[in-house]
Amino acid sequence: MAEVHVIGQIVGATGFSEDSLFCKWGIHTGGAWKLLSGVREGQTQVDTPQLGSMAYWSHPIDLHFATKGLQGWPRLHLQVWSQDSFGRCQLSGYGFSHVPSSPGIHSLHCVTWRPLGGWREQLARAFVGGGPQLLHSDVVYTGADRYRLHTAAGGTVHLELAVILRNFSRYGVEC
Amino acid sequence: MATANPTVFLVMVNGQVESAQFPEFDDLYCKYCFVYGQDWAPTSGLEEGISQITSKSADVQHNLVWNFPIDITFKSTNPFGWPQIVISVYGPDVFGNDVVRGYGAVHVPFTPGRHKRTIPMFVPESTSKLQKLTSWFMGRRPEYTDPKLIAQGEGREVTLFQLSTHNYSISRLWAFSLAVFSAWNTLLHPTIKLAGSLKFQLKSYLLQSF
Repeated sequence: MAEVHVIGQIVGATGFSEDSLFCKWGIHTGGAWKLLSGVREGQTQVDTPQLGSMAYWSHPIDLHFATKGLQGWPRLHLQVWSQDSFGRCQLSGYGFSHVPSSPGIHSLHCVTWRPLGGWREQLARAFVGGGPQLLHSDVVYTGADRYRLHTAAGGTVHLELAVILRNFSRYGVEC
Repeated sequence: MATANPTVFLVMVNGQVESAQFPEFDDLYCKYCFVYGQDWAPTSGLEEGISQITSKSADVQHNLVWNFPIDITFKSTNPFGWPQIVISVYGPDVFGNDVVRGYGAVHVPFTPGRHKRTIPMFVPESTSKLQKLTSWFMGRRPEYTDPKLIAQGEGREVTLFQLSTHNYSISRLWAFSLAVFSAWNTLLHPTIKLAGSLKFQLKSYLLQSF
């Protein structure tokens, strides 16, 4: 079985209009992949930037996969939420990125988007907060039903991931 | 090199904690320690260290320079649990107590060669204004009893909870030294704020053996 290590950090986020942000992340893989060690999903702390405008999380990611095939290469999906002083959470963006397939250290900048509703929902979001969310979050990393959505851009999430591959050459895969 | 047998590999890290920028604080010292998985073991070098206390430079940049050496070699059979260096910075508050000014963690470099990293430093703070006031007054800030927790991914999320209903153990998350204040707060909501940034250089060598 070929093995893939994904080790790194969710560094932080820039470009969001809100301040106190946290991120829920997960890694989705196909059926041929098995997670040997590590946690597949998690949530960062809430960070309020005091210096500058980037929200830093430095959230560690350490995953060890074994796979029998290349289909379903891991995809990292993110949801960025903001939290106000009353403790209410509001969605700021969804995003996804494939885990890089070449070994080495990679700096990823994952762009995000958030669903827009009609003018009523947009007005309500501006005054009261909240806003539409996806019912099934797998739309974030699949393209199947995207055409139904009307979205606006969110900010960018920055990640630094190192990918270590093992035994791929044994199966004739060049990396 | 990679055969069917499990191979042991060594990772040698040497470098320094070079300097820090903390605009609001002065007279700081730092402590470092390493957090690693079960398949890793240090074979030589120091796993922990405490630096000298340093004051800000007089020039425009206001650097706090430590130039504090790091030298360690790890032995492992598995990249899972790749070591992270956890740095905690402490300094005096207005009353002279030693309080934490920031925690930061980063993985030791994955590739051989020279690496320079600047890491953000976090300090936990509560959003309850009453607790902020009492912690400033008493010199007892929220801090991690075990700084190694900052290198872990689980349990970093913070939930709003009320003492009467939700027992989502803050003690499981961070073990804050908040025994004094728990009676005062019905809403305990620690967040993390970015306090400064730390620059350090690491050279790492990846050695294959046998």
